[in-house]
Amino acid sequence: MTQLLRNTAHATIKATSAVGEFYGLSLDTAAALGRRDFQWREFVDQSWFIARVSLLPTILMSIPFTVLVVFTLNSLLSELGASDLSGAGAGLGAVTQIGPLVTVLVVAGAAATAIAADLGSRTIREEVAAMEVLGIDPIHRLVVPRVVACTMIATLLNGAVCTIGLVGGFFFSVYLQDVTPGAYVSGITLLVGLPELVLSEIKAALFGLLAALIACYRGLSVVGGPRSVGEAVNETVVFSFVALFLVNLTLTSVGLALSDR
Amino acid sequence: MTAVLGFDVSFRMNRRYRSVVRGIDDVGELAVFFGRALASTGKAARDYRAETMRVLAEISLGTGALAAVGGSIVVLGFLTLFAGATVAVQGFDSLGNIGVDALTGFLAAYVNVRVVAPITAGVGLAATIGAGTTAQLGAMRISEEIDALEVMAIRSVPYLVGTRVLAGMIAVLPLYSLSLITSFLASRIATVVVLGQSGGVYDHYFSTFLVPSDVVWSFLQVFVMAAAVMLIHTYYGYTATGGPAGVGTATGRAVRLSLITVVMVTLMISLALYGNSRSVHLAG
Repeated sequence: MTQLLRNTAHATIKATSAVGEFYGLSLDTAAALGRRDFQWREFVDQSWFIARVSLLPTILMSIPFTVLVVFTLNSLLSELGASDLSGAGAGLGAVTQIGPLVTVLVVAGAAATAIAADLGSRTIREEVAAMEVLGIDPIHRLVVPRVVACTMIATLLNGAVCTIGLVGGFFFSVYLQDVTPGAYVSGITLLVGLPELVLSEIKAALFGLLAALIACYRGLSVVGGPRSVGEAVNETVVFSFVALFLVNLTLTSVGLALSDR
Repeated sequence: MTAVLGFDVSFRMNRRYRSVVRGIDDVGELAVFFGRALASTGKAARDYRAETMRVLAEISLGTGALAAVGGSIVVLGFLTLFAGATVAVQGFDSLGNIGVDALTGFLAAYVNVRVVAPITAGVGLAATIGAGTTAQLGAMRISEEIDALEVMAIRSVPYLVGTRVLAGMIAVLPLYSLSLITSFLASRIATVVVLGQSGGVYDHYFSTFLVPSDVVWSFLQVFVMAAAVMLIHTYYGYTATGGPAGVGTATGRAVRLSLITVVMVTLMISLALYGNSRSVHLAG
């Protein structure tokens, strides 16, 4: 019994201090963001790298995702005798949910894992410690460019996913499910307007930010041998997925409450 | 020919040609590995039953920091909880825009079963069980533990890969049952308690349109997904190279491929099952 209590207490302390360290890293990053000599070169390199690893998975995921959602909605709408509304359904699905969600999955699954693997292997090779010895702040040099790059690329990817969603939905509805093209196009803006698009972009930006921060935290806090980098990447994926689904629910509710006013 | 094109051009063509060949090579290697791994699940079930049970316990509860938060079960439950609540919140508002917010219960029964719960569960599987497996097998590969197994005349594919694929396919059934229940509960709580729809209306539309065969088919979807995810993740772990950094990269690659596979499997099975059939009868 006492053993169980001691274990629970130990696990709680460990989890709490991890959350604290994560907040510390986030605050340090925010503070370092304000410093003058922003690492432009690293930022461009990282943006290019993140875009390169994420673009193909984004396209490969958003096409089937769109077809799936449009297909499910269309079979429902045609049952209601409202196939003309399929544009509205596709627009709503693509902009409010598929866009941010696919962006989340790709940013967390492709970009964040790569960042965590990179920083983790630098940490266990003691490169990060060497930087600190040389008086270079790893947060300013490594974390800030990655976080900014990931946020920016997530916003851009979200735009790409929304476009793919609307265009893919058009082809699928019109050519395979016999929806009138004009009705599809005029339906798109029925339920989705500028506020929804802005909300969707804000979601994507926050997802990118969070995924990058979690990846940098887990990457820099790696200790131990070869096993630990793989575990760090694994935890990065799990924690960022959980955080992102939570943020999605919160932002969806907040956004809907605001747009009703 | 080479003389006309010059060294540089022929060199570049050679390189491009080689990268195409390597791509085809990789696909073949993947297919051979999948075949061997699937065939070896039989041997794993027969000869390595104890190891399979051990892996099953390990992957459903997770290791390291994952076990501290409750393992794959809790993570999957959380993911579907948020997904189910999002369906309800978004659906209630959007259906309200066209004046049929009473149908939120119908939407929860329809969308959760067909799309949201299977995809969320698949993504959760890839992130927790899958990525963990790649990290573990990758670490074994680079610290030469897999070679040591071979030296001891233990066939590594059935012992390491077959047991894990089998365990993943068994573990997914209770995990998905839990996810489905969580997503239903989350949708109901969000609609009835938070958004204030009357419970009777919600329950009426929910139970009227919950098609039992859809639920059975969604189990098939998730079962196929689990097999695909475990095959992909064991492959990347089993073939990891390049030290600790290589294990991290392999984990990332495996997650990327399995995310795409999860969506593809859901799409293919949905199209095959629901195609043009009218399985929803709203108009009576």
